[in-house]
Amino acid sequence: MLRRWNLPILLVSLALIAGACGDSDPEASTTTAAGGTTAPTVAGATDAPTTTAPPSADPVTVRAAITGGEDTLNPYTYISGFPGWNLLMMQYDSLMQLDSAGIPQPWLAESVTSNADLTEFTLTIVQGATWHDGQPLTVNDVKFTFDYFIDNATGRFSRDLRGVESVTVSGNDVVVGLAAPNPAFDLVALADIPILPQHVWEGIATPGDQTFDISTNVGSGPYMLTDYQEDQSYRLKANPDYFRGAPAVDELVVIVFADDAGALAAIRSGEVDVIFERVSPEQIDLLDAQDPLDISQGPEFTTQMINFDVSKRPFDDLAVRKAIDLAVDRQDIVDTVFLGAATIGSPGWVHPDKPVYNPAVAGVHDTAAAIAMLEGAGYLDSDGDGIREFDGQPMSFEMLTNSSDSLRLRISELISEMLAEVGIEVTVASVETATWEQAVWPDFDIANGRNYEMAAWGWSAPVQANTIRIAELVHSDGGIGFLNLTGFGHPDVDTISAALLTEADSATSTSLIMDLQVLIAEQVPFVLLAYPDGAYVYNSEVYADWEFIAGQGIVSKVSLLPPGARP
Amino acid sequence: MRRFGLRRLDQYLVVFIVAVSLNFMLPRLMPGNPLALLAGVDVGLMTPDERAEVIRQVGLDAPLVSQFFDYWRAVLTGDLGFSYRSGRPIGEMIGERLPWTLLITGASLVISAFFGIIIGAFSAWRRGKKSDLTLLTGMIGLQSLPSFWLGMLLISVFAVQLGWLPSFGAVTPASDLTGLAHVRDIAEHAVLPIATLTVLSIPGVYLTMRYSMLEVLGDDFIRTARAKGASESRILFGHVARNAIAPVVTFLAIRFAFAFGGSVIIETVFSYPGLGRLVFEAVSRRDYPVMQAAFLVFTVAVLLANLLADLLYPILDPRMREQ
Amino acid sequence: MSSSATTRRPGKTKSATLADRLGWVGAAIVTALVVMAIAAPWLAPYDPTERVGTPFLPPSADHLLGTNDVGQDLLSELIYGARVSLTVGIVAAIVALVLGTTIGILAGYYPKRLGSFLMRGVDVVLTLPFLPLLIILAAYLGRSLINTILVIGVLIWAGPARVIRSQVLSLRSREYVLASRTMGAPDRWAIVRHVLPRTALLATGTFVRAVSTAILLEAALSFLGLGDPIQKSWGSILFWAQARGAFLTPAWKWWVLPPGLMIMAASLGFALIAFAMEERINPRL
Repeated sequence: MLRRWNLPILLVSLALIAGACGDSDPEASTTTAAGGTTAPTVAGATDAPTTTAPPSADPVTVRAAITGGEDTLNPYTYISGFPGWNLLMMQYDSLMQLDSAGIPQPWLAESVTSNADLTEFTLTIVQGATWHDGQPLTVNDVKFTFDYFIDNATGRFSRDLRGVESVTVSGNDVVVGLAAPNPAFDLVALADIPILPQHVWEGIATPGDQTFDISTNVGSGPYMLTDYQEDQSYRLKANPDYFRGAPAVDELVVIVFADDAGALAAIRSGEVDVIFERVSPEQIDLLDAQDPLDISQGPEFTTQMINFDVSKRPFDDLAVRKAIDLAVDRQDIVDTVFLGAATIGSPGWVHPDKPVYNPAVAGVHDTAAAIAMLEGAGYLDSDGDGIREFDGQPMSFEMLTNSSDSLRLRISELISEMLAEVGIEVTVASVETATWEQAVWPDFDIANGRNYEMAAWGWSAPVQANTIRIAELVHSDGGIGFLNLTGFGHPDVDTISAALLTEADSATSTSLIMDLQVLIAEQVPFVLLAYPDGAYVYNSEVYADWEFIAGQGIVSKVSLLPPGARP
Repeated sequence: MRRFGLRRLDQYLVVFIVAVSLNFMLPRLMPGNPLALLAGVDVGLMTPDERAEVIRQVGLDAPLVSQFFDYWRAVLTGDLGFSYRSGRPIGEMIGERLPWTLLITGASLVISAFFGIIIGAFSAWRRGKKSDLTLLTGMIGLQSLPSFWLGMLLISVFAVQLGWLPSFGAVTPASDLTGLAHVRDIAEHAVLPIATLTVLSIPGVYLTMRYSMLEVLGDDFIRTARAKGASESRILFGHVARNAIAPVVTFLAIRFAFAFGGSVIIETVFSYPGLGRLVFEAVSRRDYPVMQAAFLVFTVAVLLANLLADLLYPILDPRMREQ
Repeated sequence: MSSSATTRRPGKTKSATLADRLGWVGAAIVTALVVMAIAAPWLAPYDPTERVGTPFLPPSADHLLGTNDVGQDLLSELIYGARVSLTVGIVAAIVALVLGTTIGILAGYYPKRLGSFLMRGVDVVLTLPFLPLLIILAAYLGRSLINTILVIGVLIWAGPARVIRSQVLSLRSREYVLASRTMGAPDRWAIVRHVLPRTALLATGTFVRAVSTAILLEAALSFLGLGDPIQKSWGSILFWAQARGAFLTPAWKWWVLPPGLMIMAASLGFALIAFAMEERINPRL
């Protein structure tokens, strides 16, 4: 009877012996908390020492961790906006590339000019760029790409090209004609869309129905996908003939983890060299304190907000919204939940680091003023239970929060505390993500109305990155304001935000957005609490030249190119 | 005997039909739908027509009844379908994860069975004495440990503090190990999950074995053997254990079947790529096909195990055979 | 069931005494925890929902177990946690018991058709995958203490149902039940008068065991993020510890160890009591 058990015991004993004799974790408990004094970086600067890896000595391999697979990483298969799109763009090039300040710079298009009213863009295509299979990149590839995305009209890149009427080739130029002026065309389209090789994609008629393998991944970018293990890893080899110069990192190995706990464990034990996901605030100091690890930190454009249903009582009363805005202590939230790793939210929506930010709309925290406002508007606590009433009912609301975001749950708890001080009772309802989405944005179509009173919400970076998208959040017409989840509407806001979408003159545009910020701060369609920083951990001994692009972070081809090749 | 088997069989069939039908209903009862999963991150930017098209492409716009029939047809032909998230054939996905689940649950089952049976038998033999009492208290104590807490502690001690073992995953990521090095890598990663599962499984086996042994020990059957002059240990191992083993086998069979549902908690704590995590994520994302396929595998496994246990029990337990 | 027609009396008494001793140990543990729960406002140094310090503080004179990720005192959370965890455990076990006993008695008393149908129902429930069921219920019902209790109760009633059913099946053929039926008394009367009282002891033992299981389940649910993270239970303390990465840092000693020990103590206490009761009800030789 005993013989049956021999094998598993043997296996386990072997493992135990092997584990005990093996290399112990070199990083374990050798560092103390004291010493990690790397200050958070300002946008654009990395905190890397100036010693770059020796130029041509040993090949530099960087192992990066991501959480969640990204399929075959071609324009029709990658899964997430971040880091999927970022990894996609290591293999492909766009016509323009964001620099560290987040401004689009010429890239595949060595010069970009437009007419006065921004309805026509002339792109001069760079000479000498080649595809990974050796073929030259020509204007025809660019025209083909535009036509392809327009014809196969679903997906992010097709949406980027909405409004494009004509694409013509003239010598070495591509001329793009738009139906209406698009002041953000460079940011939204030219710096976003990967250029596809005509000779590979012209045979793929219906990309939506296709099953792809990595042989399709022919791009012009600094990296070529040479190996792909589904849900496990990707190997990206440097393209030595890259038109901007050979990349500084010879091989990028991207490893898929099931969750961030695994990725964090891996970087601490030295099994990966960088994590391509944002690190949570409480990890920042801990990781920084561990010797070869460093943090690159800077402002990013995701937002944490409070949404309310402005079409329902009492949120339709401006006094109530304003009082909530005053009662909220944004600094406290940044200090307590984000441990300082966030920028205080601007009531005008626009991020303080943007050139068009209006400093006049700084958030104010004034509990006394909030109370006075509520009292003045007639919301009194008649039965002395600490909760004010409206229309005979207590001001007691549920704040829906998605349970998978623990930082957001803590924010909601703090909001509950802060609003209790002014007599509004907020109960935090932790719900599953799908349920939460369904309540706030039923079927992702605002035509379906709203099923919530208050909710914790947030938008992803691209919404903030393109400032004129504010119209999508606040315009009352569903066709324009399709991200207007609070049901807000105001005639002046409508006029200005709509005008912004097509204003070609940059001075006028700036003045419009300045006015709009003031209006939004006055009208409070939502309460913007904070913009969490992006913090990325990397092993400075393996590779340290990560470039932090304002609003986007370190995950881009720019980080892996030598300094001379960067925009 | 044959009549017995057949009757049980049709009861199992009924249970199977009801359970599988419920498995179809359950995902659709949840609020929300797979739209976000199917359409991807930019779902909010799509037009209603685009969204409707996405739903239509996976057949979710068909009337519920026809979806139900399609589901049953798939079940009966063994077609597990494709994931909404990745578009991969689910059979492949389950095939990838099942071995890892079976590795840790199988190993822990075997080890806990070995120790549980021996210690349980010993405890029953020393019933009432100090050793029995100590063992009993200890085992009840082990059973009261929260599984994830134990796992987290083991990671903190053995992986983080001492650095002896890796703290996550089934293998070292993106390593090109082959042969013995690969086996060693797998073993290193499996030690802590197996240890956790084993510690938590031994008490169950122990208690079942102990109770079963005590029952058998009271039988005239054994007194007869004693009277015949057989030695104590011969009685213990020869007669008692063999007769007491039946409930333990049943217990183990059912335990093994539950392994096919994966062990979500252990897999979460150790980031181990098993079935439990697959199901958890599928449920959170409303990946209906994966949910349905995983539920189906689980239901079939449990029913088969029950059936097996029912058929084996009389063979193993000579007392039942007499009845 | 073993027959007691044997002469091994001395062994029985000895083992019963030792089982009793274990039961008393369990009772002592449970009493201590209940006292801690009731006396929480006096024992705890702070209000656990108040932010009284900087986040992530290690243990100090002011905060014996340090602070959590938003600056709440961990020791106070631990003490108040007894209230929530014990309440959830006990009430969920009550739900499971009521459900299980009702179905068990019905299935045992009417074993032919109703009983068979009910037990097939039990089988179906037992073959449904536990976790997805949990998630679905949680999604459907939302996250709150009541729903956590309901979810746990629904998950663990099948065991008690089986146990009660076996007992009732055997009771059903006893003389007093047969007698009352021949005399024409309604079934309900026979059940209440004869079956229920004799099942009570078994049900109580099952109940206590269910509390032990329920406490562990509440912790597991909270850890997986399926409980109500706003409630201060031992399980939710561990949820936050895991969510904010405490167990990869030295903080595991004061943030992870104590709540786990509490859960273990509570579950152990009830399990020991249940063990002692089971030995009494069904003495093993």
